[in-house]
Amino acid sequence: MCLRSKIVVTLMLCMSSCISISTQAHSDVLDDIRQTRKIRIAIDLGVPPYGMTDEKLQPTGLDVETARMLAKDWGVEFEHVAVTGASRIPALQTGKADLVISSLSFTPERAKVIDFSLAYAVLRTVIAAPKSINLTSLQDLDGKTVGTVRGTTHDAALTKRGPSGMKLVRYEDDATEAQAFLAGQVDIFSTAEMIVPQIDKKNPLRQVEMKFVLDNNKLAIGVKKDEKRLLEEVNKWIAENLKSGRLNDLNKKYFGSNLPDEILKQ
Amino acid sequence: MSYKFDFTFLLEKWPIVLNGVWLTVQLTIMSIALGFILGCICALVRVYGGRTVRMIVGTYVELIRNTPLLIQIFIVYFGLSSIGFKLSAEVSATIALVINMGAYTTEIMRAGIQSIHRTQLETADCLGLTRLQAILHIVLLPAIERVYPALSSQFVLLMLASSITSQISAEELTAVANNIQSETYRSFEIYIIVAIVYLILSLVYRIIFKALAHMLFPRRRKLGTPL
Repeated sequence: MCLRSKIVVTLMLCMSSCISISTQAHSDVLDDIRQTRKIRIAIDLGVPPYGMTDEKLQPTGLDVETARMLAKDWGVEFEHVAVTGASRIPALQTGKADLVISSLSFTPERAKVIDFSLAYAVLRTVIAAPKSINLTSLQDLDGKTVGTVRGTTHDAALTKRGPSGMKLVRYEDDATEAQAFLAGQVDIFSTAEMIVPQIDKKNPLRQVEMKFVLDNNKLAIGVKKDEKRLLEEVNKWIAENLKSGRLNDLNKKYFGSNLPDEILKQ
Repeated sequence: MSYKFDFTFLLEKWPIVLNGVWLTVQLTIMSIALGFILGCICALVRVYGGRTVRMIVGTYVELIRNTPLLIQIFIVYFGLSSIGFKLSAEVSATIALVINMGAYTTEIMRAGIQSIHRTQLETADCLGLTRLQAILHIVLLPAIERVYPALSSQFVLLMLASSITSQISAEELTAVANNIQSETYRSFEIYIIVAIVYLILSLVYRIIFKALAHMLFPRRRKLGTPL
């Protein structure tokens, strides 16, 4: 056998073994979770208080506690998969994570590529700026530079509904956006409501405040498309824990308020 | 293998991709040109300069070559605006890339300059060339000729490295890809497309550098020694 045909045969062998491995891995995610007794959940730790790290650098927050609770109830080990806002959905699509519990709001665009569970929490997105700037509606953003976080619902909302004269500056994550605001690179930015007081705490001199609400988003757990059995199990778990009040208790712990009725009575 | 490829989003998005390509080209051409000039000056200083300036240039080169480009970009973008110099993402990116390019070019050019024997300069002196003429014609051009392959691959590397300026919101090719990815969730497809576009850009750059060498170094052309 000449060298070239040897190489071709080796390559073909490699490829066929790759294919067989990946077909095995695609049987059913729920089976995999039960078999390995481990659930891999993607959470962005840069979105306090949903995902963050405590003083000992351990992951914590509403999403992390929700994930831990689910893993414990299912009797499996919880494994954290680190993601950013923009890589949450690709992490599901490429099978790097079994579930996404990462301040993920329901949107029709996202629902085309992944499946959403029932809502387990809420997130309001807002436009924030220093006190000296007067803003009351989207129209006031005309001719202004506005910071946002790539791939988030507020990015999508501004891209779609923002005035044509607005310049959108996209950062990779909330921390970079906050840094850009604190360093003075942008004055107006879109973010999640609970992030505004945290930025204010970091530098009160910037006098940041919430200007107006962009959207009220329902947060849901993301499941890979067509994993019907897993989705059913997740929905069952959310319904049970909304009824028992455990998810509401978590919300109270982090936000000091009850979940709205539209979530509690889905 | 259940993944289905779907490239239809490109029909709608290709003008945005072109915008990204254009900014990448602008960013890299500016930083290559300015960084090359900076590097040549620093290399001449490092070889012929006095002790103090040699020390300063040496510190600059070692500082830049031993820290990540991303950190340098963050320092220019966030650092400078914190102390009052507000620069746009594109300008900050160019400054950081020029500083980075300059440091690497300094070292490459230093090797080239040191390869020119000092008797060449002495001969130039004897023939009555001024110091500037001697450095330009006797040192710099032949030095560039000797290190040209290393230089041109450094230029292409810089073009590829410019992809991380998307981190500070410069809307170049990679940022555009991330935007499209976040709207369509077709990550596999868009990154394949962008990889191909970068590949084409690299090849075009290499062809341009080859053509430039052909014009700049007629001696090589006559001798028929390839670069």
